[in-house]
Amino acid sequence: MLETAALPRKATLSPPLDTRYQVETPEGIDLPLRPAGLMVRALAFSIDLGLRGLILGLLFIVLAFLGKLGAGLGSILLFVVSWWYMVLFEVLNQGRSPGKQWMGLRVVQDDGTPIGWSASLLRNLLRFVDLLPFGYFLGAISCLQHPNFKRLGDLAAGTLVIYREQPLTRPQLPDAEPRRPSFALTLPEQRAILGFAERQGELSEARVTELASILAQPLKVSAPRAVAELNGIARGLLGPA
Amino acid sequence: MRLSDATVVIRPRTTWEAMDLGVLLSQRHRRLLMASWAIVTLPVFVLLTLLLWDSPSLAVFIFWWLKPAFERLPLYILSKAMFGETPTLKQALRQWPRLLKPQLLASLTWRRLSLSRSFLLPVVQLEGLNGLARQQRLQVLLQRDGGAARWLTIIGVHLESALWIGLMVLFYLLLPPQVELDWSWQTLLSAATQDWRWLEHLTNGFYVLVLVVWEPIYVACGFSLYLNRRTVLEAWDIELVFRRLRQRLSGTALTLLLAAFFLVPTGQNVWADEPVITPDSPRLLDQPLTSQASRDSIKAILDQPPFKNKETVTRYRFGEDKPSAETSDDGKAPEWLKALLKLLDNQRFGTLATLIEGVLWGAVIGGIGGLIWRYRAWLQAFVSRRPALKGKVARPLPQQAFGLDLNRETLPADIAASAESLWQSNPREALGLLYRALLSHLLHDYNMALKPADTEGQVLARVERLQRPALLAFSKNLTGHWQNMAYGHRLPPAHLQQELCDGWRSLFGPGAAH
Repeated sequence: MLETAALPRKATLSPPLDTRYQVETPEGIDLPLRPAGLMVRALAFSIDLGLRGLILGLLFIVLAFLGKLGAGLGSILLFVVSWWYMVLFEVLNQGRSPGKQWMGLRVVQDDGTPIGWSASLLRNLLRFVDLLPFGYFLGAISCLQHPNFKRLGDLAAGTLVIYREQPLTRPQLPDAEPRRPSFALTLPEQRAILGFAERQGELSEARVTELASILAQPLKVSAPRAVAELNGIARGLLGPA
Repeated sequence: MRLSDATVVIRPRTTWEAMDLGVLLSQRHRRLLMASWAIVTLPVFVLLTLLLWDSPSLAVFIFWWLKPAFERLPLYILSKAMFGETPTLKQALRQWPRLLKPQLLASLTWRRLSLSRSFLLPVVQLEGLNGLARQQRLQVLLQRDGGAARWLTIIGVHLESALWIGLMVLFYLLLPPQVELDWSWQTLLSAATQDWRWLEHLTNGFYVLVLVVWEPIYVACGFSLYLNRRTVLEAWDIELVFRRLRQRLSGTALTLLLAAFFLVPTGQNVWADEPVITPDSPRLLDQPLTSQASRDSIKAILDQPPFKNKETVTRYRFGEDKPSAETSDDGKAPEWLKALLKLLDNQRFGTLATLIEGVLWGAVIGGIGGLIWRYRAWLQAFVSRRPALKGKVARPLPQQAFGLDLNRETLPADIAASAESLWQSNPREALGLLYRALLSHLLHDYNMALKPADTEGQVLARVERLQRPALLAFSKNLTGHWQNMAYGHRLPPAHLQQELCDGWRSLFGPGAAH
């Protein structure tokens, strides 16, 4: 998962761009997080906004019957929904408000740990700075120009909005006799061969043959048989199913 | 195009992540992209403004309509920069007229309102396809990611307008108050009816500025979506690794042959068809305690209280009243509603509201009171007013130092004489008397702030501060000998008796006890 592309021939000084954010744990394990950018966050926010509008609208209709009591309860409700909706969902629902959950996002601290009360309160209170002067002007600019797509509230609270890891499913490989390569494979190479076998269905026939023929010579097979050979190696790498 | 030269990490991403990569790409080249966009668009906008001075809306509309033509330049820069050949500003600008040629009419007319504009632009510009070939290509590309490309444009429209209005509000907020007095915002809104053309052109200018920031990002996002789609379609990431693998293997063909030779026998052992032993397979089968039994007992212990606490919670719930109320047929519903409304209009609810209000206010006041009580110590320490200095606190004079009684009344009238008479029989007491009398004098006559915890050295330091050389010399002498006597049990030399007593008399007078 952590393969870094080998340096290109015209090696530039800056490392290749990637949408990953590495956190190293004290045990020396790299956790790759994938920060989420403005577009998907804007959609998640619109969903949350619509949801809040819906909740408030429905409750106000009910409360409208209650006269003075209803007005009082309504203003309490307005306060709770507008200030605590995000905070409560983020802290109690693993960093996911309904909109974020829908879009596959969650909020975590910079070091990948779950978000707490203070960080969540801070990042949501600072929405009012991000809002200025109109419609998340500052937040959008900051989000578009920050390498990890943080708005000002995220910067202050030290939080990060990331894509949730989706549960892994066991890959479906084409049937082939398990084989063992005659040379050692590094981890990225093993992954590439597995990926080749997994994604064969999405690729065109000609492209599959073309890709396999790159490795025909090292595998010491003819180009047409290379696909079956690679599928066999992938089977062997995957182990008994 | 050589994949190994790519300056981004090539791997299949989700569509949203692909857009994020576009944002990163535009960030890396932001200066070049924004400068080239500004250099191309600003003159066009100025020209349009001058030509259409009397119809500002038309000017900005034409400018907006021309956006696809401008978008070709950032795409060119990005496609070059993607493979490490970032052009300079001059090179890029020189390329622009050439970039405009292919299918400009189409992109400015019937394709202008396409929502997947930025996603499909590379097909025309980079692949150079048109006609049927282009149609087929679009069909393949749009099978997936088309939705995301449309969302990108929709979000872009909203973002553009938000940023545009934001700039206008910022402009209004930054107006000096004198100017603002004349221009209330209502008059600004109705500026169209007035003769304030320049103001409208100014707001158009804001839109152009917003595009300088946003449009390169939009193009970059579309480009990265396109790249991602092709990465998925053509497995670019796999090709990249395969090519590198072939290079590695062909470079080390000989060593590989040898390695393969040696690896084969060991490999066979690994691949022998043995039952796989995992931590979960049963072991220790011949022992009194098999692994299965131990696992079961571990599980049983883990299910017991310190590890797992089971709890049964019983609560009251509303009975089945509600369903019956809801199942009442439609004819009854209005009556039921009316009754409810009547009930709600009742005076009782008014009092209930007042009651709740009272309770809430009580909670607020109680909460504030509780907070103050909770932090009372902190408040006293940091918030309370600086306590007024009440003059010097009268500190009680110490009665003792080093176990010596400093009270005047306990001292004899003529100290020097009593010391002399004591010297023969008990030199320790004599020295002690002298030192005690010295301390008593310092305390009572010189008002020295002696504390019970002071050491002899500290007393000397205080004497030094009095700036009396004679007193200081005498005190030093006496203290030194007193310390030798008291702690070291060393008798002072005989001539010291006279010296100290004379010193005493010269300092404090013959009968000076007080």
